[in-house]
Amino acid sequence: MFPEAFVLLLLVAFNAGSSLGKDNERFHEELVVRPLSGDHVNTYFQFTTRWHYGEKDNLYHTQLTPRVIAELLQQFAVKELHIGLTQGLWRYETWGYPIVEATSGAEMWAWFSGSNLTNGEVDRQWKELANVFSGVLCASLNFVDNTNSIAPRHLIRPQFMPANGQRFVRYSTLPREIVCTENLTPWKKLLPCGSASGFASLLNSGHVHNTKYHSLGLKVRVLCEDHDEENCIVELTQTANLVYDLRLFELSNNDFSLRRLFGMGLNGFCELADSSKIYVQRNEQGERFQLVPAPTQEVRSTRGGHSVVYSVYDMHEQFKDAGERLFNVAWLSPKSEGRRRNLAKPSLPPVTVHRYLLGHGQERGRIVTEVTNSHYDALPIMVQEVVPWYVHAYLHTLSIRRKPQRVNEYGRQRLPFKLLHYTPGKQRELPSHLEIGFMLPGQTSALITIDVDYLLLKWLEYPPDANHGHYIGAAIVSSQLPMGRNYTALPPEGHLFEHSFNATRPSYVLSLHTEALIVSLPTPDFSMPYNVICLACTVVALAFGPIHSVATKMIIVGRQASAPKNFVKKIFNKIFRRGKAGEEAPAEAEGAVLGAAAAAAPLGPSGFGSSRASRTTGGPSGDQPLLEDLDEEEEEQD
Amino acid sequence: MDPKFFKLLLLGGAVRFYFCRTPLAAMIGNRVEFATPLNSHKRMQEGIFLLQSGIDPYQGDLVHESPLILSALSGLFKNYPQFLPVFYIILDIFTAALLYTMSRRFVKQKQDQQNVERKEYAKDTEELQFSCLDKLDIPELVIVAYLFNPLTVMSCIGMTSTVISNLFLAFFLYCLVKGLLLPCLLVLAFETVRSFYPIVLIAPLLLVFSRSSIRRGVVISLLFIVSCLIVAAANFFVLNSWNFLDGTLGFIFYFRDLQPNIGLFWYFFTEMFEHFRTMFLITFQLNATVLYLVPLSIKLRKEPLLLATVLVALMAVFRAYPSLGDVGFYLALLPLWKRCWKFMAHGFVVFTFFLVTLSMMGALWHLWIYAGSANANFYFGATLAFSTGQIFLITDLLFAHVKREFCLFNGQKILIDGEEARIVLK
Repeated sequence: MFPEAFVLLLLVAFNAGSSLGKDNERFHEELVVRPLSGDHVNTYFQFTTRWHYGEKDNLYHTQLTPRVIAELLQQFAVKELHIGLTQGLWRYETWGYPIVEATSGAEMWAWFSGSNLTNGEVDRQWKELANVFSGVLCASLNFVDNTNSIAPRHLIRPQFMPANGQRFVRYSTLPREIVCTENLTPWKKLLPCGSASGFASLLNSGHVHNTKYHSLGLKVRVLCEDHDEENCIVELTQTANLVYDLRLFELSNNDFSLRRLFGMGLNGFCELADSSKIYVQRNEQGERFQLVPAPTQEVRSTRGGHSVVYSVYDMHEQFKDAGERLFNVAWLSPKSEGRRRNLAKPSLPPVTVHRYLLGHGQERGRIVTEVTNSHYDALPIMVQEVVPWYVHAYLHTLSIRRKPQRVNEYGRQRLPFKLLHYTPGKQRELPSHLEIGFMLPGQTSALITIDVDYLLLKWLEYPPDANHGHYIGAAIVSSQLPMGRNYTALPPEGHLFEHSFNATRPSYVLSLHTEALIVSLPTPDFSMPYNVICLACTVVALAFGPIHSVATKMIIVGRQASAPKNFVKKIFNKIFRRGKAGEEAPAEAEGAVLGAAAAAAPLGPSGFGSSRASRTTGGPSGDQPLLEDLDEEEEEQD
Repeated sequence: MDPKFFKLLLLGGAVRFYFCRTPLAAMIGNRVEFATPLNSHKRMQEGIFLLQSGIDPYQGDLVHESPLILSALSGLFKNYPQFLPVFYIILDIFTAALLYTMSRRFVKQKQDQQNVERKEYAKDTEELQFSCLDKLDIPELVIVAYLFNPLTVMSCIGMTSTVISNLFLAFFLYCLVKGLLLPCLLVLAFETVRSFYPIVLIAPLLLVFSRSSIRRGVVISLLFIVSCLIVAAANFFVLNSWNFLDGTLGFIFYFRDLQPNIGLFWYFFTEMFEHFRTMFLITFQLNATVLYLVPLSIKLRKEPLLLATVLVALMAVFRAYPSLGDVGFYLALLPLWKRCWKFMAHGFVVFTFFLVTLSMMGALWHLWIYAGSANANFYFGATLAFSTGQIFLITDLLFAHVKREFCLFNGQKILIDGEEARIVLK
């Protein structure tokens, strides 16, 4: 009786557990389409898996969450992880702010938390973590190590709920990374439905990589209730942010559709998804388009005094009736508009950033970061710079100059730092890490400059195309906006795009990436290491030989060689003498030998048979130079 | 001290002051030939700035000046930056004055020695002996060679810390000639902890102060080690960390910065195969320190100042981060050996080498770094030729000294079978 009851109990428990698991693991897919100014269209995919796994042991049984993410939490003390793989540059001035920030190339940062964590241990885990995702995403993240990682002090804030224990953060960018198909495919494999159905089926590399800007993102965070390690949620957010340039479609008008953008219509929704929705922005640039099919639902979001209207297509409703078909949405511009470019100027976002290099030549330069505040009020600005080790930055040259936004040139007016954190870099070991904070008055631009020297590297440290230049990663500029204009990012506590609707807060944390820079370092000649080594050693030998002979040899008075005046005869004489050198040596070297003042043994003057001193001066004895007869010298040596 | 001496000092200061107000000063401060990672003014500023901001300057690898100098100058750098050029000029003038007094004394010593040995000299060697006029001429030549050498002038207006090194070296030589043991030791220890290579100057110091007894030599060596430790400890207490040792001595020894300079190291170690690097590093550092130390100290044991001159010169050629300021310093010591000049055969060659390579360097640097029409080999060639020229000069001086010594006692005209003979080394 007892065993049966036990088995029954187990079964019940198992069923309960599994049903709990199903309930506590949810997957959502969202697609946001925002027409941007200048005939651009931003499409943003977000796939969110949220799993209330409870305690750590449950991580062994994964369902929707990819196994690698669960294993990650078992192996590392990582609590939050962001990876971005991006190609292209987001244009803040014309496109506004993106929903998810990313910098060109690969970018990665992670928060570690746990008891008994040390800096060394975090460094180790960080490197391993990068290697894991290097494999998972087929990106060169394995190049992330201490030489390009920093521990940001102020700028990167955690978005997880810190359990007890210390927090560590590591940040790194690889601006040289090129993002392509090989990253998209493994990225799609992390999705529960893969690329077979759902929104992910729209992401075909042929179309994705034709865009002006595309950015793949992956974000993992762990939320533990009440600092309790036993009651945790893991949240995996995969994002794909694309910007299409409609002009590249070569259409007669500005109409576009899902099929036009992605090459095919939507074949349905992911069956594992709890929700599957398309949001289409209808105001601002989206206002002029007419949607086909007409949307059934409309959402108005007012956030920080700024309203946005979205039309919503719920895929679960669209595909309610069974049957094979593809879903497509078309944006039709008014006929009158025709082929004309959309020249409507967008409203300038409150904060914009730019970065560039000053100076020419491969010796030194100046990194300039320009931050413009077009808001009427002062804004707090924080800037984080990572200067790689192959560029020396001089902190004492750091300055912030300001000018009113309308004026063209910067004057001598300076802005004081409110905050400065600097870790100097070390060649081949550490990058320089600079974080500065200041208040930027309204309608003002700030010009942050720092002088740098370009280093000459060892010849094997240059990448294959050495004259392509070396990258300096983008700076991150962060601010807190008092209003929500242009601001579309998710609130930190939300995990779906729809959580940003009506999410009015006292302030909105904005973080922007500047352009990455490319510096051309001086290059050595790669073709002649042997020659250089030989030549340098020759010069050393040029010193060594004579100094050695001065120090060790004796002074000899030799007969003045009667050299012929005629050049030809001279040469003949040379050849003749060389031929007979063996025989003539004794005769030539006759003369007096000075017992050199050196204590070192005189190098044996061999074959002084017939030599004789022609003149013996009464040489002083002792330390004074002594003129001796050669015969005696030879006897001594014998 | 004659009025001419002060006039020269004033004139030297005026020349420097004039040039430090021209745009040339900023340009020189950025030239790799003058400003190396060790001595550049910009790095000194950075070090002082970091020190004042409470960041350990040796945590990064931009600053390689010793902590004592940084903290000593930090007040000046912060409060009176406009007086910095004047400060460097004063230091340089002081160096010149020290060299002048040193050489006066040296000539006097030489003349005394000559008076003792005179009867042993050969007959026709008056022109090889120090004359009465030399007492005035040689110090004047030394001071002119220091004050009006374009290399030292530019090094001074570029505000490189070579000016400080030169001052210490001049003070060392002064104490050496004057016979002041303790200041000599201290200054040498300070320079050794600061830039490593001056350690070789312990040889002339030992030759001067422990001529007779070995025990005295051992005591002096021990004293030197102790004073090095004291200096290191003093440096330690500036920041309470030993990081500076790796930042100064370690940086010099391991040659971490490959920035081009006039020496032999930079391109050699840029192009070096990684698995040979350590070996060649040790070889080159030995070459710059002990390789010539022992044979030359034995050979020149009776001429400690010549030994010091040659060692300073070899240091300027073979050190890891040489600058033209170092070259200017040892060039100013050459007039001390005016009586050897007769035997220096390569004067013209060396002068041409210097002139051509120094003018080529600027052009080739521009072609490589800015115009992009030349590559590193061109500049390397110029620095290589410059080093060769310097080596010719040094070996020439050594040969000339040996020949002079020989001729001084054996007469300048040596005949074999009635024919004029030549002096060779065998």
